[in-house]
Amino acid sequence: MQSQLDSALKEAADAAGQIRTRAELEALKARLVGPNGSLTLVMRGMAALSKEERPAAGKMVNAAKAQLDEILATVSARVEQAELAALLGPTIDPSLASPDVASGSLHPLTRTRERILATFRKLGFVIAEGPEVETEWHCFDALNTPADHPARDMQDTFYLPKSFRSIDALRKGDEDLLLRTHTSSVQVRTMLARKPPLRIVAPGRCFRRDAVDATHSANFHQVEGLWVDRHVTLADLRGVLDFFVKETFGPEAETRLRPSFFPFTEPSFEMDIRSPNLGRLSDRWLEVLGCGLVDPKVLEACGLDATEWSGLAFGLGLERIAMLVHGIDDIRHFYANDLRFLRQFA
Amino acid sequence: MRVSFQSLERHVDLSGVTPTQVSELLPMLGLEVDSVTTFGLQPIEHLVVGEIRSFEKHPKADRLSVCQVDTGDGVLRQIVCGAKNFKVNDRVPVALPGAILPGNFEIKSSKLRDVDSHGMLCSATELGLPAGEDGLLILTARAPALGTPIHKLFPSPDVVLEVAVTANRGDCLGLRGVAREIAASLGRPLKPLEARAPSGTTDKPSSKDAFGFVKSSSKTCPYYTLRTLRDVKVGPSPDWMRRDLEAAGLRAVNNVVDITNWVMLQTGQPLHAFDAAKVKGGIEVRSARAGETLTLLDGRVLTLDANTCVIADEARPLVLAGVMGGAESGVATTTTDVILESAWFVPGEVRRVARQYTLATDSSQRFARDVDPAGVDLAARLAADLLIEHAGARVVGPAVVVGKAPRSDRTIKLPNGFVAAKLGTPAPEEHVSAVLRRIGFTVHATNTGLEVTVPSFRSDVDRPIDLVEEYIRIHGTAQVPVGRPLAPLPGEEESPAASFVHEVALRLAGAGFSECYHYSLCDVAEVTRVLDAKSSAQLALQNPLTADQTHLRASLIPGLARALQLNLSVHAEPRQLFEVGAVFRPMADGQVRECLSIGFVVLTEAPRRSWKTREPFDLFSAKRLLTGIATAAGVANTRLTWSDVSSGLWQEGHAATLADRGRAAEGACGILDLRWTRTLDIRGSVIAGEILLPRATFISARKSARFEAFSSFPPVTRDIALVVPTSTGAGDVAERLRQAAAKAVGKEIDVEAVTCFDVFSGEGLAPNTRSLAFEITLRHSTRTLTDTEVTAALDQVAAAAAKAGWTVRR
Repeated sequence: MQSQLDSALKEAADAAGQIRTRAELEALKARLVGPNGSLTLVMRGMAALSKEERPAAGKMVNAAKAQLDEILATVSARVEQAELAALLGPTIDPSLASPDVASGSLHPLTRTRERILATFRKLGFVIAEGPEVETEWHCFDALNTPADHPARDMQDTFYLPKSFRSIDALRKGDEDLLLRTHTSSVQVRTMLARKPPLRIVAPGRCFRRDAVDATHSANFHQVEGLWVDRHVTLADLRGVLDFFVKETFGPEAETRLRPSFFPFTEPSFEMDIRSPNLGRLSDRWLEVLGCGLVDPKVLEACGLDATEWSGLAFGLGLERIAMLVHGIDDIRHFYANDLRFLRQFA
Repeated sequence: MRVSFQSLERHVDLSGVTPTQVSELLPMLGLEVDSVTTFGLQPIEHLVVGEIRSFEKHPKADRLSVCQVDTGDGVLRQIVCGAKNFKVNDRVPVALPGAILPGNFEIKSSKLRDVDSHGMLCSATELGLPAGEDGLLILTARAPALGTPIHKLFPSPDVVLEVAVTANRGDCLGLRGVAREIAASLGRPLKPLEARAPSGTTDKPSSKDAFGFVKSSSKTCPYYTLRTLRDVKVGPSPDWMRRDLEAAGLRAVNNVVDITNWVMLQTGQPLHAFDAAKVKGGIEVRSARAGETLTLLDGRVLTLDANTCVIADEARPLVLAGVMGGAESGVATTTTDVILESAWFVPGEVRRVARQYTLATDSSQRFARDVDPAGVDLAARLAADLLIEHAGARVVGPAVVVGKAPRSDRTIKLPNGFVAAKLGTPAPEEHVSAVLRRIGFTVHATNTGLEVTVPSFRSDVDRPIDLVEEYIRIHGTAQVPVGRPLAPLPGEEESPAASFVHEVALRLAGAGFSECYHYSLCDVAEVTRVLDAKSSAQLALQNPLTADQTHLRASLIPGLARALQLNLSVHAEPRQLFEVGAVFRPMADGQVRECLSIGFVVLTEAPRRSWKTREPFDLFSAKRLLTGIATAAGVANTRLTWSDVSSGLWQEGHAATLADRGRAAEGACGILDLRWTRTLDIRGSVIAGEILLPRATFISARKSARFEAFSSFPPVTRDIALVVPTSTGAGDVAERLRQAAAKAVGKEIDVEAVTCFDVFSGEGLAPNTRSLAFEITLRHSTRTLTDTEVTAALDQVAAAAAKAGWTVRR
C-alpha cells in the first residue's frame, strides 16, 4: 500500500514541474483524486483491510494526501500567477512620461485675485460684483466726479453709442453707458442695494482708453474694497491695508500712506510699500493702491446720511500686485497667453 | 511741473535742506516727484574748451579718429575719439588727464588700439547735461575762448524736480504754492511776495489807454483785467530770469514775454501781453463766431466754433482765451506799447477748449486747474513792476477790471472732536489750529469748534472733512495709528458668481486646461464670426482707440483659437486652453446682456508624438465638461436642451448648442469650423465648448441640496432595441422611453436610468434609419421587483415606442 501511495506521489511530483495551465492542473488532479484516480483507488482498497490494519493505513493515506495537497497548491499558485501575468501583459517602465495631456494652469491674475480675496475674507469682507458696461452715473456722478472732470473725457474712457441698452446697467436718466474705468462703481451699487454696516471687496475688469505699452493695457483688473459703518476711521484704513500688505508681501514689508487725490475719497492716499524681498524693486517705496475715507458726497449720493455713516474705500490693481509678487516686468504678458509664461505660475 | 531748487529758494529759506530731502518731502505732502534731474553744470576741474585742429582715421579702428586738439596752453594734444559729428576747427569740451567726470569717471592718458590718447572729447551726456545730438557737444557757435573751464559756459548747477500735481491742487502749478507746502512742512515762513504797482480800480479805460473799450460777454470769463504800459523797450531779459525759465523748461523769448512767463511760474497765474498797436478799437471777451479763424503763436490756424471763448478786438479774435495767444497781436521786437491781460477763466471751459483743439499749454493747464482769483491782480502788478524795471515801461492810467473775482476766502466750521473722530486717534484742537495756520489758513477757536478761514488759492478745501486731510497731510500720515480690524459681520451674503468663477477655473485647470486672459475688445471680424451683422453692429464702441479693438467680444472662442495659433507658432505645445470672463450678447428686444462665459478649446492632434496614443478628446468629452460646469452654476442638466448648431464658429453636423430657456443660459460645443481653423494654421480639428451664464443665474445664493432616502432593494435591468429615423435624436428617444416606463410602473417604482448602449446603421436596415439599443433600469422603493411586473412594464414601453412609429427589434 505504501508503495502504491509512493508511486502516486511520485507521479504527482514528476508531473507538477511540467504543468503550465489550469487545464493540465485539473487533468493531474483527475489522475490522482478523480473517481478513478490512483489515490482514490488506494483509498477504496482500504475497505478490504481488517479493523486492526485500518488506523495505520489511514495515517499513511492522510500523510500522502497532505503531501499531495501541498504539491497541488504550489502548482496552483504558479498557474494563477502565470494567468494574471498573461492578463496584465508586459511589466511597466515607471520612468516613462505620462502620455496624458500635461497639467493645466491657473492664470497668474486668477491666483493673485484669489489670494487677495482670501486675505480680505479673513477680515470679514465679502465679495460683491457689478457689470463691466456701466452707466456714467454709477461710474462718475455718484462718485463725486463732475461732468467736466478729465477722467470722463472721450479720450480717456470708452463710451458706447446712445443706442446701446444694457439689461445689466440701467440708465438713471439719459446718461451715457461706458466701459467702467474702475471697480469703484461697485461701491455705489452695493450701497444702493444694502444697508450698512457692510464690508465688501469687488474684483473686476476695468477699461481705460490708453495705448498699450509695458505698463498700460486696454483692460486691466482691480479689486475694490469698501467698509461702511458708524465711526470708520483712518486708523481702520491703516489696519486693514497693513494687514493686506503683510499677507501679500510678507511681514517684512513696510507701508506708508502718501496723500493723493481721488474725487470719491477725502482724505485720499496712495499706499506705498517697501520690502527687501522684491528682487530688483527691493528696498524702495512702490505705489500699490489708492485709498481713503469715502467722501461724504458719495455716501449722500447713495442715500446714506453722512453724519451717521462713514466709510473707507480702497482700490488696487491686480496686474500691479501680480507684477510685484512675481517679478513680471511687462503688463502685456498677462494678455499674450503664451504658455511659456502661463505655465510658470501653474 | 518742473520745480527748480534755486527758484524755490526765492520763496522759502531752504538753508540746511538738500534737494534730496525736498524730493522725499514733497510726495508725503501729496506732490509726487516723477523725476529728479540736474540743470546747469557742476564745476569740473581739467574740463576746458579745446579746438580740433586736425584729425585722421585711426590706423587700426575704422570707428575711431585720432585728433590733434589745442586747449590754448601752447601744445597740441593727441586724443582718440569715437564720435563722428565734428569737423576741423570745431570747439568742444576736452577732459584732460585728471578730470573726474560724473559717475566718478577719471580721465587718464592711455593707449587706444596702440595709439596714445591724452584725454577725452566729451558729449553732453558725459558731462551730465541733457542729451543733445549724438556725438560730441559742439561749442563752436558760442565761440568760447580756448582753455575756458566748461562750467563757465553753463548756468550754475541746480536740481529740477518734475512734480506731478493732482487735479485738485491748481495752487501748486506755481512755485509759490509748492514752496508754501514745503514751508509748512518745515515750519518755516514764506518769504514775502509784494508788488508796488497799484491794484485795478475802474471798469472803463481812460483816454490815455491804448484801447477804447473792454467788455466781457462770455460766461467763460467772469473776471478780466487789463493794464496799459507804454515806452516798452523789447530786448533780452536778465540772466537770472532766463535761467529760471530754462530750468523750468521754458524758452526765453524777449523781456516782455519772459516776464509774463516768469510771473506765471512763480504765482501760477498765466498772463498775456498784447502789442497795443495791433489791437483795433478795444478788447472784448466773447464767444467766437462760427467759422472765424485765428492764427496762433505756433502758426496753427484754427477755425473756431461758437462754443469757443476768444479775446477779440473790434475786428477779429486775437487770443484763444486761456489757451494760446494769436500770432498777429503778440509782442514783437518793434512793440512799444503793451496791453497786459490777467484774468480768471472757468476751469472746465478752458479744459474743454484745450482738448477740442488739442492744445495743452502752460496757460490752459493752469486755468483748467482753477487759478487763485486773488492772484489775478497780484500777478499783473508783479509783471508791471518787472516791466518797469527791466523794459523801461511806464504804466498809463489805472488798470481796467471787468467783473469780479468768482471766489474769495471762506470760513469752515470744524466741530470739536471732528478730526479725532476721523483719524481714530486724539487730535487736540490747539494742535489742529497750529497745523492749519502753517499752510496759510486763519483759525479762530470757539466753544464748539474751530472757525477756519481758507484763502482763495485753495479751491479744493470747503468742508470739515477737507480740513482733516489738510491736517493729516501736514502733520504727517505716519501719525495715523494702525487700527485693529473688527470681527466679520455675520450673515453677509457673498456674490455666488465669485465662488463659481474660482470653482470652475480650478475644475478646468485640474482637467489639464491652461487658463488664458484675452482683451474684452476685439475687431468686427471676430464678432461677425459669432453673431450676424446686425447683432455685431450693436456691440460697437462709440470711440474705439485702435482698429483691432472696436467691439465688445461676443464669445471667448475666437480669442482662445488665436491663443492656440500663437502657441503653435512659438512651439509652446498648446493642447487645452480655457478662459472665464464676460461676453456680450444682443437679445431679441435689442438690449445687450452681459454674460459670464466659460470657454475652452482642445487641439485634437497632439503637437508632439508620444510613446502611447490616447483616446482623443471629442464632442462628447466637451459635452461632459459643459454639463459639469452648468451643474456647478446651479443649472440642472435636466433643464438643458441640445440641438444642432448654425453659426460661423462651428463645423456643421459636428457641433451642438445647448440652452436653458428658463434662465437664458446658452452654449455650444463641438468642432470649430475647419475652414476657419485652417486659416489659423491649425492642423487637425479643434474641439471647443462655451457656456454663457447671464448675471441673473447668480442673483440668489444657491440652496443647499436636500437629502433624499434611497431604496435598499436591487434594481432590474432590461434591454430594448428600436429602429428609428436617423433624424430622431437618441436623447429624445431615451426621454420618450423614460416617460413611457414611468407611466407604466407608477409611483412606487423608480425609472433610474434609460441609457443608450448601442448605435448601429447600415446592413439590414432601411436607408435613413438606425438601430438604437437602450438599457432600462427599474427599482422598487420597498421590495424586490417581480419578473412579471417588469415584463409587463417593458411591454408597455415597447407599445409606446411602436406608437411613436419606431420598430421594436426582438
